[in-house]
Amino acid sequence: MQATSPARPRPASNFELYSWFFMRISAIVLFVLAVFHLVYMHLVIGLDAITFEVIAERWQSAGWRLFDLFLLVFGWIHGANGMRVVLDDYIHPQGWKVFVKSILYVVTFVLIVLGAYIIFTFRM
Amino acid sequence: MMAAITNLFRAVTYRGQEGQIAWMLHRIAGVGVFVFLAGHIFDIFLMAFGPDVFDALLFFYHQFFFKLLIIFGLYLGVLYHALNGIRIVIIDFWPGMAKYQARLWRIQLGIFVLAYIPSATIMLSRMFDGS
Ligand code: HEM
Repeated sequence: MQATSPARPRPASNFELYSWFFMRISAIVLFVLAVFHLVYMHLVIGLDAITFEVIAERWQSAGWRLFDLFLLVFGWIHGANGMRVVLDDYIHPQGWKVFVKSILYVVTFVLIVLGAYIIFTFRM
Repeated sequence: MMAAITNLFRAVTYRGQEGQIAWMLHRIAGVGVFVFLAGHIFDIFLMAFGPDVFDALLFFYHQFFFKLLIIFGLYLGVLYHALNGIRIVIIDFWPGMAKYQARLWRIQLGIFVLAYIPSATIMLSRMFDGS
């Protein structure tokens, strides 16, 4: 007998297990990338100093493009997968669930494509 | 609708301890940041249309109200969600730590205050000296 419930209940399926694992791996990645991104853009550069020019210059470096690509993919997929769980919790009718999640997946596809497009193709 | 009201009532009156508050704030912050990020990916995509279009959009980011929203919404939310997320990861990957979750939560809040107050103060003061 355990006095408290286990910290980790058994996952419902293989997919949920991978999803659970992905959320935690992306959490560690995002902790470094997203916090650095916020502190750098808002404290070091400052919101008022950010212009087209500044970002164009930043994307002269392949390293920054890679950094932004990682932020895009990990940030959005982590958020979207989190939203999937939240929607599962609050939307019960099957039809609505499918409908709202379909919107989530379409928006996810569109945003990843738009974001990756500009990161890869931007030229001054 | 009725069910939503009942649920809200239950959520507010449920006597969970730190864990429940931690989880509720984590969820609210996660959803909030998600909504912001949708707009943010799109606005960065507008880099494709050149400086005139992109800099016109920045007018939005430079609004007084929007800056307040960033400091007291986005920045606060990300910082909380990030620290709480790390606490979740520690407890999940290292189940022995579950025993200390209440202490971890207080440590987490301490780190949050130490990190947020000075950096938010710098951001706020910049808003007023116009740099
Ligand atoms: C900054 C670093 C971040 C860390 C360390 C982090 C950590 C986590 C962790 C560990 C979870 C899983 C919670 C669970 O399974 O119970 C989670 C959930 C979630 N995260 Fe993040 N996250 C971060 C950034 C973000 C960002 C940028 C977004 C928005 C795009 C986001 C949105 C969400 C959402 C919507 C959930 C689901 C919340 C829920 O089920 O209650 N997170 N986060």
